[in-house]
Amino acid sequence: MATVPDDIFFATIAEINQKLKAKEFSVRELTKAFSDRLERLGPRYNALALSLRHQADRESRDVDGDVKRERFRGPLQGIPFGAKDLLAYAKQPTTWGARPYAGQVFDYTATTLTKLAKAGAILTGKLAMVELAGGPAYRFASASLTGPGLNPWDRTRWSGGSSSGSGIAVAAGLVTFALGSETSGSILTPSAFCGITGLRPTYGLVSRHGAMALSWTLDKIGPMCRSAEDCGLVLHDIAGADSQDPASAGKSFYYAPQFTRDLKYVRVGFAPVDFDDAAESTARPDFAKALETIRSLGLQVTEVKLPEFPYGPIISTIISSEAASIFEPLIKSGKVDELVDQKQIAGLKAGLEIPATDYLKAMRIRGLIQSAFSDLFDNIDVLLAPSRPGPAPKITQPLDHPASDRPMPKAPGLTALIPAGNLAGLPALSLPCGFADGMPIAIQLVGRPFTENTLLAIGRDFQARTDWHRRRPPVDERT
Amino acid sequence: MATTKLTRREIATALSVSSVLLGQTPASPPPIPQSVTLSPDDELKAARDSIRQNSEQLAKFPLPMTTEPATRFKA
Repeated sequence: MATVPDDIFFATIAEINQKLKAKEFSVRELTKAFSDRLERLGPRYNALALSLRHQADRESRDVDGDVKRERFRGPLQGIPFGAKDLLAYAKQPTTWGARPYAGQVFDYTATTLTKLAKAGAILTGKLAMVELAGGPAYRFASASLTGPGLNPWDRTRWSGGSSSGSGIAVAAGLVTFALGSETSGSILTPSAFCGITGLRPTYGLVSRHGAMALSWTLDKIGPMCRSAEDCGLVLHDIAGADSQDPASAGKSFYYAPQFTRDLKYVRVGFAPVDFDDAAESTARPDFAKALETIRSLGLQVTEVKLPEFPYGPIISTIISSEAASIFEPLIKSGKVDELVDQKQIAGLKAGLEIPATDYLKAMRIRGLIQSAFSDLFDNIDVLLAPSRPGPAPKITQPLDHPASDRPMPKAPGLTALIPAGNLAGLPALSLPCGFADGMPIAIQLVGRPFTENTLLAIGRDFQARTDWHRRRPPVDERT
Repeated sequence: MATTKLTRREIATALSVSSVLLGQTPASPPPIPQSVTLSPDDELKAARDSIRQNSEQLAKFPLPMTTEPATRFKA
């Protein structure tokens, strides 16, 4: 039996694929090594919702059969991955990170997981998440059935949410990639805090069939990986039309960064304040270096302003209204009180009282936001900003009372880019770009709808000149 | 949404996994600072206040009558 070397836990999809093809080890051996590690270290970080060791072992034997017959399905063949526990996997619990749904079992599997199975990827486990993907809002990192997501770089700090287990598992080398979901920040935030690369696809590009709904008009499923290249490979396989998702855009995605236009013709807009006054002081030096690296790629970098809208009240009204409608049976049954986070419980209850006129007004302004971004993208191709203004907070830090006492910057910059980008349905890529207080920080690139290849091409070039995405947290030393 | 097509054996197996999950003790449950913990009634009041503030912000935004709600995204 071949030994799987420890470096494999932090290898990219292409690197593992090469070794599988060279038959350095079998898919079954690889799967066992990752399952062992996920079960051993996952609970240490509150990252594991459910190990699927036995199913993974069965799948891995099938894939080994294909490899033996030299039937190659693609780059994801034999690659172990994890999925946020809001994705249904037939005949196994899907808890949505919430106690009221701890016994929930579906008889069907989410489209994304079916697609990945067809590609030969091996699902080794369901990963922890913030309860109900955060609901309208939550106050504490502890808002989860499995406890607070503990950051592999420092277990006293939060992993970010709501795709907490996905961020942790990739960062700690428990899986090679993971699926997360984003309604407003739930892929970008844990990707940034855990030091991994995360892609929020354009709304409608990836099917949500089999995923918990939090907000029908905002929810997206996306990859969380070691590199931009890996995000492209995963997106290639999970994107595409799905008649079972009413919001499906009916579009496919082919990962082909080589066909993206020369980066010297790509115009990048940024706001200097985001890298200065709006950023935490300890993060500014590496944010400044990231900006310099972006410039060094030959991109046309110019200053830009975000269209002025009340993004916060709009997205809050939309999420609260849709979440209250979706979870109305939970709220009215009283089982909502079984959730951990009191702010989330109250937010869901109060959401039932939002007037229809407020929801519709928010959606009408949202139409103007989409038009404004369409106009903005006449003059630029990509928006650039820090993914978060600083590193992950302590797990005891109330999330609605930031620890930083830095004064509000004079100009808003692009600080509202996460809600704005989600309201406009825009794709975003979060790239690790350095450290602050010993914790990872990241930048985000946001493009017009369905321009994921442009973002990935920039990400790939950025990561060719930096090694932040290759850094490993001190996981093994502490075990 | 929950299944009706599972066998009794499958449901029993799945639920036994669930009960294990419920019995898990999360690593390092954090202490919650009392200064930011509100009573359920106060939390509900705070949530309602937040909705009212959002409503006021939306009301300030001038909107032409012809503006329809967003439903589609274009490439």
